[in-house]
Amino acid sequence: MSGLLEVKNLSVSFDTPQGEVEAVRNVSFTLLPGEVLAVVGESGCGKSVLCKSIMKLLPATARIKSGSIRVNGADITGYGGREMQKLRGRLFSMVFQDPMTSLNPTMSVGAQIGEAVRLHQPRIPREIVHDRVRELMELTGIDRPGERMRQYPYHFSGGMRQRSVMAIALAGNPQILFADEPTTALDVTIQEQILTLFREIQKKLGTATVFVSHDLGVVARAADRVAVMYAGKIVEIGTVAEIFRDPKHPYTWGLMQALPAFSKGKEALRTIPGMPPTLLHPPKGDAFACRNAHALAIDYEEEPPMFRVSDTHYAATWLLDERAPKNIPWTDAGEGGQPDLILSNHPLAREHLHTKSGNAGGKNRMSEGAERYGGDTGTGDTERYGGDTGTEDAEPVLLDVQHLTHAFPLTKKVMVKAVDDVSFQIRKGEIFGLVGESGSGKSTVARCIMNIYKPNDGHPPNRNSRSRKRGFEDKDNADDLYGGSRILYKGIDTCNLAIFRKNRRMLQTTRQIVFQDSNSSLNQRMKVCDIITEPLRIQHITPPRGSLRAEAEFQMHYVGLDAEYLDKYPAELSGGQRQRVAIARALTMEPELLVADEPIASLDVSIQAQIVNLFRHLQREHGFSFLFIAHDLAMVEFLCDRVGVMYQGRLVETGKTQEVFANPRHEYTKTLLSAIPEYGFSL
Amino acid sequence: MITERLIMRMETEQRCGSNAVQKRYGIVEINSMETGAGKQESAERMDHRFEIVGIRPATQAEPARRRKWYEGRPVFAAVLLSAIICGCLGCDLIMTKDPAFLDLENYNVSPCREFLFGTDTMGRDIFSMIWYGGRVSLFIGIAATLLSTSAAIVFGAASGCAPDWADGLMMRLTEILLSVPGLLVVILLQAVLGKANVVSISFVIGITGWMGIAKVVRSEVRQIRNSEYVIASRCMGGGFFHILWKHLTPNFISSIMFMAVMNIRSAIVAESTLSFMGIGLPVDEITWGSMLSLPEQALLTNSWWIILIPGLFLIATLVCITSLGNYLRAGVNRGESNF
Amino acid sequence: MREEHGFGSDMHNNLLYGGRHVCFGALTDGLLRKTAYYGKKLLIFLGSIFLLSIVVFYISRLAPGDPLISYYGERAERMGPEEREWAKDRLGLKDSVSVQYVRWLTNALQGDFGISYKYKTDVMEVIGGRIGNTLLLGGTGFVLIFGLALLLGVLCAWHEGRLADRVICQVGTVTSCIPEFWLSLVLILIFAVNLKWLPSSGAYTAGRAEDPGDRILHLILPMTVVVTGHLWYYAYMIRNRILEELRADYVLLAKAKGMKRRSVMFRHCLRNVLPSYFSIMAISVPHIMGGTYIVETVFSFPGLGTLSYESARYKDYNLLMVLCMLSGAVVILCSLAAQTVNERVDPRMAGAGRTVLK
Repeated sequence: MSGLLEVKNLSVSFDTPQGEVEAVRNVSFTLLPGEVLAVVGESGCGKSVLCKSIMKLLPATARIKSGSIRVNGADITGYGGREMQKLRGRLFSMVFQDPMTSLNPTMSVGAQIGEAVRLHQPRIPREIVHDRVRELMELTGIDRPGERMRQYPYHFSGGMRQRSVMAIALAGNPQILFADEPTTALDVTIQEQILTLFREIQKKLGTATVFVSHDLGVVARAADRVAVMYAGKIVEIGTVAEIFRDPKHPYTWGLMQALPAFSKGKEALRTIPGMPPTLLHPPKGDAFACRNAHALAIDYEEEPPMFRVSDTHYAATWLLDERAPKNIPWTDAGEGGQPDLILSNHPLAREHLHTKSGNAGGKNRMSEGAERYGGDTGTGDTERYGGDTGTEDAEPVLLDVQHLTHAFPLTKKVMVKAVDDVSFQIRKGEIFGLVGESGSGKSTVARCIMNIYKPNDGHPPNRNSRSRKRGFEDKDNADDLYGGSRILYKGIDTCNLAIFRKNRRMLQTTRQIVFQDSNSSLNQRMKVCDIITEPLRIQHITPPRGSLRAEAEFQMHYVGLDAEYLDKYPAELSGGQRQRVAIARALTMEPELLVADEPIASLDVSIQAQIVNLFRHLQREHGFSFLFIAHDLAMVEFLCDRVGVMYQGRLVETGKTQEVFANPRHEYTKTLLSAIPEYGFSL
Repeated sequence: MITERLIMRMETEQRCGSNAVQKRYGIVEINSMETGAGKQESAERMDHRFEIVGIRPATQAEPARRRKWYEGRPVFAAVLLSAIICGCLGCDLIMTKDPAFLDLENYNVSPCREFLFGTDTMGRDIFSMIWYGGRVSLFIGIAATLLSTSAAIVFGAASGCAPDWADGLMMRLTEILLSVPGLLVVILLQAVLGKANVVSISFVIGITGWMGIAKVVRSEVRQIRNSEYVIASRCMGGGFFHILWKHLTPNFISSIMFMAVMNIRSAIVAESTLSFMGIGLPVDEITWGSMLSLPEQALLTNSWWIILIPGLFLIATLVCITSLGNYLRAGVNRGESNF
Repeated sequence: MREEHGFGSDMHNNLLYGGRHVCFGALTDGLLRKTAYYGKKLLIFLGSIFLLSIVVFYISRLAPGDPLISYYGERAERMGPEEREWAKDRLGLKDSVSVQYVRWLTNALQGDFGISYKYKTDVMEVIGGRIGNTLLLGGTGFVLIFGLALLLGVLCAWHEGRLADRVICQVGTVTSCIPEFWLSLVLILIFAVNLKWLPSSGAYTAGRAEDPGDRILHLILPMTVVVTGHLWYYAYMIRNRILEELRADYVLLAKAKGMKRRSVMFRHCLRNVLPSYFSIMAISVPHIMGGTYIVETVFSFPGLGTLSYESARYKDYNLLMVLCMLSGAVVILCSLAAQTVNERVDPRMAGAGRTVLK
C-alpha cells in the first residue's frame, strides 16, 4: 500500500543566535489514506515542528536540512511559497493548539470560513458560499449557524472557536489534516466533545489525520497508529494496540508510567526523572539515556537504529539488539501492579484495583486514609457543607467557608456572579481538591480566601449605601454587606476588615498561596534567593537557620532544587523549577494553610507528576492543610482527601475523593468523570 | 535530612524494582533481524557496551557557541558617542581658540589650517565652539531628561497606584498636556521665567517632556500591580513601599530606559530649535543650537561650513543616542514571524 | 488579569444543564445609548475648550511683556505713565484679569473675538487670511506623511529582516534625527542659494499670488521638511504594529487554509492594524501642527505658525487666544475622534465589556 504522505529522513533545524537547534532529526514515517496517526511526546520534542515543516509553515529561520517529503508520490520538499500555497487547504490543512488566538479577532467567524471556501472555489456566487459555510458549521457541530456566522470570535467559547477552526481547515476538503494539540487548551469536558467530533468527521470524510498530542489518553482514543517522539526523533512507532500493550522504548514506557492511572494507590506518582534535553546540541547516542534508569553503556555512545518488532511496529532502542540483556527490570510495578495496568482505569477495572491495592500494605493511601478517619468507610451520606467526615473526625476545622458569594462588575450596572453561595470546610492536615472547568469560579474562591478579593453579593453599591457609609470597622454583622459570605479561618472571620487587621500578622504568615503561572508569580528581576526569602524580609522574621541565604538554601533543598540556582533569575529556570521556587517561597513561612491555584496547569505532563509528588510529600512532612485547585481530575484523585466540584460558580458536589469518583451525584460531575481519559480500547 | 532520605528511597525503589513484571515485559522477543547498523556479532558474547549503567549526566556534545561580546550591540554608536562626550568634557584641551573671542579680522573664513572648521559671521572659531557648545547642549539634554524622568516616575507611579477615579483624572490631565503643542507651552513658560539661561531652559524643556514617560510608567505600574507576584507579596503582608521598591521600580525602570534615552535626544533637539528660533539661549551663550541661530548672513554669503558642520555634529550625536536607545528597547518583536 | 466568567462554558453544556444566567440588570436601549455616547463626547469637548480658554487667558496675561508694543510699536516705549494708563484703558487691559476674562467670554460667545493689536483688524480676518496657507501646507503634509508611512511600513514589514528593510530602517533612523530647522537651512543652502532652483521663503512671489505654479514652487521645500521630519516616526510605528500582527496565530491559520501572502498581509494584518492607525493619525495632528509651525517660521511662510509665534512673543492677546483655542479645538477634537475610532471600529473593543478586567 503506498502512502499518502511519505516523509523520509527529514531533519529540520532552526538557526538561532545561540547556534543551530536541531528540532527534527532524521524522521521517517508514512501516512496511509484515511488513517489517524498520533504523534506523542513531551513539549519541545519537535512534534509541531514536524507538522509545520511538512506544510512549510515554519518561520524563515527554520530550514529543512535533509530528507524528503512526498505527497501522493510527488516530491514537495523543494516547493517554494507559491507552490505550497496552492497545496495548502486543498491537499493538507491544519488545526492549531490555541483556539483563542488562531482566529482573526476582527473578522466575523462566517467571513473567515467563507474566505477559506472562496479560496478553493473562486468566483462562486455568494449564496453558494453561504450555503457551504452553513454546511461546514453544521458539520463541525456549531448550532444556529445562520446566527453564529455573523458573530465575532470573542462571542465564542474556546470549544466553539476550535470548531470554527476545524470548519476553516475542512473548507477545502483536504486529504490530510494536521491537528496540533487541538484539545490541549480546552476544558476537560470540551476536550471530550472536540475529540468525539474529530473522530466523527474523520470517519465521515475519511481524511487522513496527523494528530499531535502530549496526552496518551487522548491518543488512545483518537488514533489508529502512534508515533512517539523524543528529542526530535521518532523513537517508536506502531499501532495503538502495539504501543499500549507492548511498548519497547523506555521513553514510551516512562510516558505510560507517568499516567496517574498507573500510580493508583501508590505513595507517589511515577515520573520520568529530569527534563527533555535542549535540541541546541542534542546529546550523543540515545537522547533518553540520561533519564533512563536502565540505560545501557552503548546508549551514551551510539545512536540506536530503528529495530523492527513487527510489520507495523518499530522502535529505536538498543534494548532490541540481540546483544542487549534480556531480563531488564523494566519497572517495579510489582505491588498491586497489573500486567494490563493501562487498561485499569476502566470503571470496571478501577473498582477491582481499589480493593486490591487497599489490601496491599500500610503505605498506600486507602489504608492510611482509613486510619486517619478512624476507619470511617463513608456511608455515601454526603452533606453539602463538608460534614461528610462526620463527628468521628478528631481534627479541628481550619478553614470554614460559608455561603461565599463574589460578583464582578460586567458593566457599570450589570454584575456577574463568579462565585455563588459556596460553602465547604477544610480540616487540619487535610488536602481538599477543588475542580471545575475554567471560569467556574475556582480561582475566585481561592482569592477570596486569601483576602485578595472581598466577597460581595453583586448588588450595586447604592442599594446598601447605608451599610457602606458606616464602613467596615463598625459593622456588627457583615452579613448584609457580603451577601452572607463568611470565611472563618481558625474561627476568625477574615472577611471582616477590622478583625482581619487585628490578626493581620497571623493571617499573613500562616496562609500562603501558590499561583498557576510560575512565570508571572515570580518577579523576573529578583534572584531566586531573594524570592524565597521575601516573606521573611516582609515580616521581619529572623531566619531560623542563621542567615537568609542559609534559609533559602534549606528551602531549595526541601523542594528538590540545587543550591546553585539561588543566584539565578526566574527566566533561567524551567517551568517546573520555577514552580518549585514558588512553593519554596510559600513554605518559608511554615504555613498552616496552603492554597494552590492550578499549580500544575501550565506544566508538562511528566513535570506535573513531579510537582504533585512534591506537594504530597511536603504535605506529609509539614502537615499543613492544603486547598488544591485543578482541572485535572486524575491528579486530584491521586492527591486529595476530599474534593469539591464547581460548576458555573456553584459548588455542586463535595465529598471524599473515592466516594465522589466512585458514585458521582451531580450531572456535571458525571460528565466530568466520563471525560477522564480511559486507556481501554477495543482491540 | 528527611527530604533527602525520601528522595533517595524513591530513587532506589525505581532503580532496583522487583522481578514480578520481568516475566511479562522483561523478555524482549525480536523475531526479525535488526535493520540498522547491521552488526552481526555472536549473541552469546555479552558486549560490555550492553551493560546497564543507569542514569549518567548527559554528555554535552560541544559547548554552545559563545556570541562575541560585540554582536548585536551598537558598538560603533557607543564609541562615537563617548568620543564626542569626551571631546566636549575635555574641551579645554582640544580647543585651538577661545570660542567666545570675536576675531573681527577673520570672520566668515572657510575651513583652513588655522581655523579647522572655519569661523562664523562674527569671527568665532567653529571648531572650538563645537566642543565648548556641545558641553552645554549635552548638559541641557541630560538635565532636562533627569527632571522629566523623575517627574514622570513620581506622577506615573502615583497615578498607577491611585484609586480609579484619581487615576482617570490624572490621565486626562496628561492627555490634555500631551496634546498641546509643546513649543507653545515652552514659549509661554520661558516668557514667565524671563531671560533664558542654561538652567531655566533645562527646566522648561524638562517640565514639558514628562507626559509620555508618565503614561508608560502608569500603565506598567497598573499592569505590575495586578501581576501575581505582587499579589503574592501582598498576601505575605508586603506593604506599599516594599512593593513599590522591590517589585514596581525594578520592573518599570527597564521599560522606560528607552524612553528616557530618547528624551535626551528630544531635549537636545528642543534646545537647539528654541535657540535657533531666538526664544532659547542668547547668541553669546554657545550651544549647538545657538551656533545655528544666525543663518541669514551665512545663507547670504553661502558659508556652508557655518550651517553644515555644527549640524552634522548634532545629528551624529542624536543618531548615536537613538541607536543606543533602540538597543535598550528590549522585547520588541520577539518571536518568529508567521508570515 | 483577564478571566471570563460564565461565558467560558460551551454551548453544549449550557443546553444540557440549562445554563444558568448569572447576569442581572438590563441593557439600555441601543439608540438612547448612542445619543448619550455622542452627547457625552460633545460635553467633554466643550468642557475642555472652556478650561483651555481659562488657562491660556490667565497664563498669557500673567506672563511678563508689554502688549502695548504690539499695538503702538516703537511709540509704546516712549509713552509717559499717564499715556500708558490711557492706552491700557482703551485696550481694556486695566481691569483685573477675571473681569477681562468674563468680558472676553461674553464677547466671544457672541462671535466677537476682538481685534488684533498688531494688525489692528478683527482677529478672525487676520486668521482668515493665513489659515489657507497653513491648511495647504499642513493638510497636504499630513496626507503625504500618512500615505507614505503606510507604504513604507508595509514594505518594511513585508521584507522584514532583509536588505530592503534594514536599509530603510537605517536611513529612516538617521532622517528622524535631523532637526527640522537644520534640514530647512540645508535645503535652502542647496536648492535656493547654490542651485537657485527654488525660492527660499514666503508662500508666493510678490504679485503672483494667484499663480498656482508659483505657489507649488514655494511649497516644495517646506513640504519636504514637514514630511521628512515626521515620516519615519509613523512608518516605523506601523511597521512594528504589522510585525506584531504577523506573529499572531491567525496568520498561520490563514496561511494553512491556502491564502496568498498578499491577501494575508492586506486582508488580515493591515485590516487589524488600520483602526489603531486611524487613532494614531488623529492623535498626531498636534505634533504635525507643531512641526508645521517651526517650518513656517524658518521659511517665513505666512501661516498660523508664524502668526502664533508673533502673537505669543509680542502679547497680541486676542490673536493669541483665538489661535490657542483653534489649535486646542483641533487637538481635542482629534483625540476624541481617535477614541471614537478605537471604541467603534474595532469589534474587540465593543466586546471588551464582556470580559472582566481586574
